[in-house]
Amino acid sequence: MVTFIEGIGTRTLKLCRSAFETLFFTWQVILHLLDLKTYNKATQLVIITQLYFTAVQILPLFIYISALMGLFLMGIVLDSIKQMGMAGNLGNILMGFIFTEVCPFMTVLLLALRSGAALNTEVAVMKVSKELDALNVFRIDAFDYIVVPRILSGIISVVLLNGIFTLVLLASGALFSRMIFGLAFDAYIRILVVSADFSDLVILILKCATFGFFITLLPIRYGLTASNELSSIPIAVLTGMNNVFIAIVVIEVLSLILSSI
Amino acid sequence: MKERHPENLGLVSTDIPLISNLNVWLNIALIRLYHLSESRLQAKRVVVGLLNRFQKREIAGLRIAALDHWERYLVKLLRAAMVQDALIVIDRPFRLVPDLPDAELIENSLTRIDDLYFSCRILDYSWNRDRYRIKDVSES
Amino acid sequence: MFRSLEYKVGLFILITSVLIVSAIGYVAYKKDVFSRVDTYTLASFSGEDLTEGMPVLLSGYKIGRVHALELGDDGRILIRIKILHRHAKWLRRDSVFIINKPLIGDPRIVLSTGKMSSPPLSTEAIKEVVVANDINTTIKKLEPVVERLNRITINIETLTANLVDPKGNVNQILRHTETLAERLARTDSLLDLALGNPDTVSAVQEALKNTEEITTEMTRILKTVDAMAVKSDEALYGKDGIFPSMRTLLVDLVGKLAKLDQFVIHVNNVGANVDASTKDLGVLRRDIDETISTINSLVKELDRKIPFRKEPRIKLP
Repeated sequence: MVTFIEGIGTRTLKLCRSAFETLFFTWQVILHLLDLKTYNKATQLVIITQLYFTAVQILPLFIYISALMGLFLMGIVLDSIKQMGMAGNLGNILMGFIFTEVCPFMTVLLLALRSGAALNTEVAVMKVSKELDALNVFRIDAFDYIVVPRILSGIISVVLLNGIFTLVLLASGALFSRMIFGLAFDAYIRILVVSADFSDLVILILKCATFGFFITLLPIRYGLTASNELSSIPIAVLTGMNNVFIAIVVIEVLSLILSSI
Repeated sequence: MKERHPENLGLVSTDIPLISNLNVWLNIALIRLYHLSESRLQAKRVVVGLLNRFQKREIAGLRIAALDHWERYLVKLLRAAMVQDALIVIDRPFRLVPDLPDAELIENSLTRIDDLYFSCRILDYSWNRDRYRIKDVSES
Repeated sequence: MFRSLEYKVGLFILITSVLIVSAIGYVAYKKDVFSRVDTYTLASFSGEDLTEGMPVLLSGYKIGRVHALELGDDGRILIRIKILHRHAKWLRRDSVFIINKPLIGDPRIVLSTGKMSSPPLSTEAIKEVVVANDINTTIKKLEPVVERLNRITINIETLTANLVDPKGNVNQILRHTETLAERLARTDSLLDLALGNPDTVSAVQEALKNTEEITTEMTRILKTVDAMAVKSDEALYGKDGIFPSMRTLLVDLVGKLAKLDQFVIHVNNVGANVDASTKDLGVLRRDIDETISTINSLVKELDRKIPFRKEPRIKLP
């Protein structure tokens, strides 16, 4: 019984410590992100490299998946709208559900699966192979060189790729609107513009940025928890990715609450 | 994560690895890019020039995994030499380049870049004293 | 490699950013985010239901929104509204701002434009708003209706109680109606109603009257016959005697009455849907049956009293 209670206590303390460390890490990252001195040539180079690996390299696959998703999703959604006789709410459903909820969610899911896991492993390997120590010896701040550029490129990538995903879905929506409702393109755009709220678009961008921030911050944070043993790498990746998915759900719920206020 | 080191320390050691996701010239140029915020082209030009001193400019674009022991040693040495007024410390060179018969090549490499560092120290076991062929060896 | 990498990244960022910024810019333009706006001030004695962002409508078209709400020095609520500059021409000095609180939906400020010849409304002026509360107006309109509905409900309750009470007015009326129906069933008027043809009714009545007369006549004749029977057997029982003739007459009469019976059955069918009329016809039918029965018994009595013989009886000396 005592062991059981101790177990609960240990787990709670571990959880609290981990949460505190994550918050502290987040705070440090924010400070470095806002510090102009962070952005030296080495950091800029890493930002460009990371943008290439996170956003540009994935682009053909991303567009292909977006188009496929767009065809299925928009087809099903628009057909359902017609069957339920909710054609009058077409704009609100597309703007309020598809473009502000589904698109960011799908984008962040794809990036978390690809880049989040890669970042987590990369940082864990760097930690195990003492490359971070090497940076420290040459007075290169790991926050500036490793963490900040990756997080910044993550933020930019999610925002931009979400834009692409949304545009592809918009195109699919236009196609299906014409097929299902006989809606001309200009009428379709007008409906969307009427339903769109400028503040919602700002919230959408902020949401994407938050997603980008956390799907890169958490893998790096948990990658750094790896010890000097190679066997600690999969554990660090596992924990990191678990936390990434929890973070995605939490952000999604928070954004829903925020937009409903 | 942080450990205090002398600001001009240029450590060459097996325990201080090269960055595996950077190629040769970026490993060497990283310090200049980070501390001096030198332009990438300028840094690359400097690095390629330095590699050329060892007739190794062809390795500039290679990944670390593609290098042999001697090339890795050279890259580590040049990286250490990129520190301003560097105090180069070479930790057990025969661990870095195990197939060397003596320290002649090490000494030679230091001579070729003597304009880049302020001072140099080689740390090694006493039983390797003969391989250095130098008289003023301090023992501790 | 890096030139190529940087070029790719730069191109990606440039194209995507342009697309996103264009899309957002387009929405912002369509939503008049960049349009010039003029700020006007309205005043209200109550800030109830007033919210920032509340729309200002002209003929149902949004021309602006409530930007801020402040408490004025005089205790009134100052409503700062932002109106798109291109719609400012509709705001005149005699324009009226109405806070409309619809029964369903969010409150809004509705602009009632005054005379266009009136001078434009100054941004420095403070206009008093009029509150038009749809909910209260509707409730006021509904009050008399509700009162009437209340009275109707009370009446329905009284009626229901009356229906349940066996001594109640409704039950009394029903009983009276039943009595009346019975009485009506006995009247000729319903026969009229059932047959539809007054001539047929008179014919039926005439036939019945004739039958009655015949019966009376027959009774009288029988009495006479009884008196005469003693006088002459031959005169009575002969082939051309009185009784055979009378019998023929009676049989004929029975036949005719049977036909009349069928006619009544037919009429009965016609009026099957009308209960009261059916009752009337039933009574008529019974009358006819009685008459036939009377005549039949009369014939039988004749037969009994004066047996018709085919062979004349030979009286022995």
